[in-house]
Amino acid sequence: MPYRETMSSKERVMNALAGKPVDRTPAVNPTNVATVELMDLVNAPFPDACQSGEMAARLAATGYTELGFDSVSPYFSIIQESSALGCEMQWEEKDNWPTVRMYNPIWKSADDVKIPADILEHRDMKAITDSIRMLKDEFGDEVAIIGKTMGPWTLAYHVFGVEGFLLGTVDNPDETKRALEKLKAVSILFGQAQIDAGADALTFPDHATGDLVSGEYYKEFLQDIHTEMVDVLQAPLILHICGKTVDRMPYIAKTGMASFHFDSKNDPQEAMDAVDGGITLVGNINNPETLYARGPEEVRQEVYKCLEAGVQMIGPECAVPLATKIENLMEIPLAIKDWTAERRG
Amino acid sequence: MPVTNEDLEAELAYVTNPAEQQHIRNLWAEADPLMQDISVSLIKGDNNRVDQLTKEALEAGFSANTILDDGLIAGMAIVGVKFRDNLIFVPEVLVAARAMKAGMAHVEPILSASGIEPAGTVIMGTVKGDLHDIGKNLCIMMLRGSGFRVIDLGVDTSAEEFIEAVEENEAGVLGMSALLTTTMPNMGRTIDAFEEVEMREVVKIMVGGAPLSQEFADDMGADGYGKDAISCVELAKAFMSPDTEPSISPVS
Repeated sequence: MPYRETMSSKERVMNALAGKPVDRTPAVNPTNVATVELMDLVNAPFPDACQSGEMAARLAATGYTELGFDSVSPYFSIIQESSALGCEMQWEEKDNWPTVRMYNPIWKSADDVKIPADILEHRDMKAITDSIRMLKDEFGDEVAIIGKTMGPWTLAYHVFGVEGFLLGTVDNPDETKRALEKLKAVSILFGQAQIDAGADALTFPDHATGDLVSGEYYKEFLQDIHTEMVDVLQAPLILHICGKTVDRMPYIAKTGMASFHFDSKNDPQEAMDAVDGGITLVGNINNPETLYARGPEEVRQEVYKCLEAGVQMIGPECAVPLATKIENLMEIPLAIKDWTAERRG
Repeated sequence: MPVTNEDLEAELAYVTNPAEQQHIRNLWAEADPLMQDISVSLIKGDNNRVDQLTKEALEAGFSANTILDDGLIAGMAIVGVKFRDNLIFVPEVLVAARAMKAGMAHVEPILSASGIEPAGTVIMGTVKGDLHDIGKNLCIMMLRGSGFRVIDLGVDTSAEEFIEAVEENEAGVLGMSALLTTTMPNMGRTIDAFEEVEMREVVKIMVGGAPLSQEFADDMGADGYGKDAISCVELAKAFMSPDTEPSISPVS
């Protein structure tokens, strides 16, 4: 029977997240697909698009309307919560992501962690919840709206500084756990607010990357928290951790998260073997070497490699470089469709 | 003199490459057991013990140079190998580096006063727009632990700041780091800026950071790419050697 699409983008993504059958593999980026070209196209440049719900919605929508992805994601960075917590920010221009000045940490210990009662009213939090409402109004159930709430490990980098935080994990692991327990309240608050606003799923970045810490660290400090998040946040969660992560994938697979967004530093087949059916995978088209520096043909080859390995959702490994050509991004859903057609006749 | 410290012998078991293990053993070949104690305390990240043992060693008449080479640098060599081989990760390296710093606080003033030349001068910084400095800081710790004088320009460094620092400090090596795919092209722009002011030939430029690759480094015209802090030190050492070839690949 010839291949034809029978599902909406949202249905496709939600089924894939649930491990159910799909008409074809969805093209998804749980982080985001904003680029300078797309910002110019809809007049929604950084940093404004990170601070205004209306601009965030407009820019996020291009992932579906211009690129043909099956999801839209209006949170373009990893700093909204940290900005609301009072971290010193460097907002940059449209060619760079805003960043927390982690060399000037705002807190030193778990005792310092204080979450403002009105944190959800902060401009940078509202930008995301507002944008999700607007996207829901515009697209309804047509496309999957993926929100994002940062995990406590990433928040800890921002509020304590990376070095100070990592040193603390050795000097006083109990204190680290106490800090993570307190910070996870932000993850829950913001995640729930986005679900209430209409998010269909949430990306949960928590950068306990293999470039910094061991797989055993993930198990010791984060596995239980991530398991708890699955119970508390009643939407499919997509854990995102950059870098080498194969050593912690078996632990991640036991958290109950719906999916793991993995980096190109991990071979797709090796990753599939590591999770052993315990969690779905989304990824892992290389950003710097392929999407940014090469052309559609190379993108297509990587998409095919992921599909051959059985990766359940295909997309860039992380937030795409802002100078990425949109033809390279458009190639991802095109390649998925061609691959599916070739196999289904 | 063989390795007499049992803990150190156990640490050496992590160095699985025979040539590498022999090289590290040789670092202790003539070393006093006290130096081995310093090394193993450093590897364990016990900064208080390194502080105490370094003071004792100086009081016992060991030269600052001996403590640096046979105690601190020899210990850091094992830390480096374990880090490269993913046996330890950044937190463990940070505590070892802190212990190294505790020892250096005693020996560095003596070395400076005695006029011993550093292995070379290296300028380090993250590129314009990039505030992620953990990788750069690890490189600096390892470089200093290997006897280099390092000028740390911190984060968000413009091409002009890099040029000025190289000029002012007559540095032979410049290291640039970037974590973001949006900022890594600024490495190429900085290299171009060195060309424009006709200073490209006076300094060797090495680059590193999570999204980088040898290919990207080559495309930008860098002299070397370091995939980790150990590669960074090896590159810097190679650059300071008179026989250095213009293009160096990472050692591992």
